[in-house]
Amino acid sequence: MRELTYLEAVREAMSQEMRQNEDVFILGEDIGVYGGAFGVTRGMIEEFGPERIRNTPISESGIAGAAVGAALTGMRPILELQFSDFITIAMDQMVNQAAKIRYMYGGKGKVPMVLRTPSGSGTGAAAQHSQSLEAWVAHVPGLKVVQPSTAHDVKGLLKAAMDDDNPVIFYEHKLLYKTKGDVPEEQYSIPLGKADIKREGTDVTIVATAIMVHRALEAAEELEKEGISAEVVDPRTLVPLDTETIIQSVSKTSRLVVVHEAVKRGGYGAEIASMIAESEAFDYLDAPIKRLGGASSPIPYNPELEKMHVPQVPDIIQAVKETLNKA
Amino acid sequence: MAKEIFMPKLSSTMEVGTLLQWFKEEGDSVEMGEPLFEIMTDKINIEVESYEEGILLKKYFKVDDEVEVNACIGYIGEAGEKVPDNPPAASEESESVENVQEEASAEGQEQTVSTDSDQEENKDGKVRATPAARRISRENDLSLSAISGSGPNGRVHQQDVEAALVAGVIAVTPLAEKIAADHGIDLNQITGTGARGKIEKQDVLSYLEKADEISKETESEPAERIKLKGLRKAVADKMVQSVQSIPHVTLTSDVDMTNVIDLRKSLLPVIEKDTGYRLSFTEVIIKATANALMKHPKLNASLIGDEIVMNNEVNIGLAVAVDNGLIVPSIKNVNQKGLAALTQTSKELGKKARENKLKPDEMRGSTFTISNLGMYAIDAFTPIINGPETAILGVGRIVEKPVVVDGELTARPMMVLSLSFDHRAIDGAPAAAFLTDLKANLENPYSLLV
Repeated sequence: MRELTYLEAVREAMSQEMRQNEDVFILGEDIGVYGGAFGVTRGMIEEFGPERIRNTPISESGIAGAAVGAALTGMRPILELQFSDFITIAMDQMVNQAAKIRYMYGGKGKVPMVLRTPSGSGTGAAAQHSQSLEAWVAHVPGLKVVQPSTAHDVKGLLKAAMDDDNPVIFYEHKLLYKTKGDVPEEQYSIPLGKADIKREGTDVTIVATAIMVHRALEAAEELEKEGISAEVVDPRTLVPLDTETIIQSVSKTSRLVVVHEAVKRGGYGAEIASMIAESEAFDYLDAPIKRLGGASSPIPYNPELEKMHVPQVPDIIQAVKETLNKA
Repeated sequence: MAKEIFMPKLSSTMEVGTLLQWFKEEGDSVEMGEPLFEIMTDKINIEVESYEEGILLKKYFKVDDEVEVNACIGYIGEAGEKVPDNPPAASEESESVENVQEEASAEGQEQTVSTDSDQEENKDGKVRATPAARRISRENDLSLSAISGSGPNGRVHQQDVEAALVAGVIAVTPLAEKIAADHGIDLNQITGTGARGKIEKQDVLSYLEKADEISKETESEPAERIKLKGLRKAVADKMVQSVQSIPHVTLTSDVDMTNVIDLRKSLLPVIEKDTGYRLSFTEVIIKATANALMKHPKLNASLIGDEIVMNNEVNIGLAVAVDNGLIVPSIKNVNQKGLAALTQTSKELGKKARENKLKPDEMRGSTFTISNLGMYAIDAFTPIINGPETAILGVGRIVEKPVVVDGELTARPMMVLSLSFDHRAIDGAPAAAFLTDLKANLENPYSLLV
């Protein structure tokens, strides 16, 4: 099969949809000739023109508000925020408008929009450009939250997000943009709310999101050399969450390690751990649930400290061994 | 919260109960209504059932201990719960209980300071175990406290429970366990058919059946073992008590029964017509004994505590053999009864005794006992005194023996009387005098008319 980078897969998903659906358009800062902060939309303005690849003023609130309005009038906008940290400025539009309108109008209006935004650390972009704030939006009923981890997943999930009649927050991890994977040429959709078992195992379940999926897989590889069989589950969407797959996996392995890059305190890992503790998998737990997440500090600019801030492969290996009393 | 097990008060006069056996060991699980222990009171033996469900945490008393009613004899609760090392004081002594509690809590504080962190973690008495370990031990009826944990702070993990299962911590239902214990079967020999090899009632029963068949085939049938209980146990206890506490002396004397045989022959049709019962030698002996007892009241006395009670009535107990034991109905005021009345009373009491229909009153109050083995080929024996009575008469068979009468060797129907007496209450001379008078009464029964 043909290989694409994650970044190219995102672009292809949007281009293929825009070619067949006139209602879809993109708006964001410098997404035209410049191609956006990470070059995702590069070349698209040549094909679709400035009407459909719209540069905006530097106002996330304005971009989000325009997208909500366009969606309400029947368009299916995709808006791009340069860094997911800036979602704070778009928050009122997303939380109080986009998430609520369909509910408050009894379904008479709908807000079919996708907010795409790069998240995560590892690029030396420091405290204001490296955060993972997905737990903020996952907390708000009315917003769907997607965190694809591979080129294949990102194309299929973006198609499903564009097809959805509800606002979807679509997180793309900066470090994943350059990762490659097999991606089918034709359009395809991966349903929101369907987790993927990225690696099967029997001794411990590692639930990992975004970049952590890759670190968990690497850890699993190392652990296998020591005779520990780890199962890696990628939820892919936080809202809706595929609880069934996670519960089944934990019931099978009796141990759970949850890993995300976002700060551990108040992070979405707490939701997954609680969900398991409340589920029928509880009776199968043979070790305390472990959570790995970012340190409770702003993300440092120093590259060594930045690495230390978020879970790395050795951290995952250590956590797994602790659940097996082998640390 | 652990619940106390009390010695029940089963009658208005019961002050203490004697523990005969525990049906459960510490650590066993107990269902509500399951027999927990057996006690003996001044009146009966009874199995006491549990009012609680849980684990038998503590037994303060052992078999044969005498325990006051309402005293705490143990605790039932959840596995791992802490209970006092010594039985708590009875409830009326509330002050001392409080003191004990204060002391205990003071000790607890000291411990908190002195113990290392591992023990401190488990100080609440709960077992540290993962949900999976708990589930598996629950499914297999295992007690987590019996399993040593391999995890941090002794946490019990799934693999520890599984290892315990493999190591042969046997899963068994409480009922199956009791049946097996009753038959003295080692549970290791039984294969369980329940979930995960759990031994159920049916498994024990089919093992018993199979064992029966095998023993029949091999002919070397193991000796039957009969549990000492009920009447048998009562007889056993009474005999041991009598033999161990009473210094017995037995005197024997040959009695020429020629005249008694004549007397019986002539009175037999008269009494049969009168009462419908046939006069036997026993009644004549009872009558003669009562007469002798009137002359020798010391033999009619009871030794109670450190007092010799000179009984006013002459009530003669008659030992009756019944299934699996011995009962002694009492014939009241024998000295006031003629042979017809005695015949009727003794026959009726004997029948009731064999049918197990005696009223308590008919078994009480005897002051002297007669044990007659004359229907067997027995001459003399050493009867055991029926305390607190002070003497007992053993009656042998009547058999023709050569005797010398007036310088001539002749055959006479002879009978041996064996008198056992309590040497604490009676000395040899008065006992011998009594037996001599009794012998005279029988050899000349017409003297009874005097």
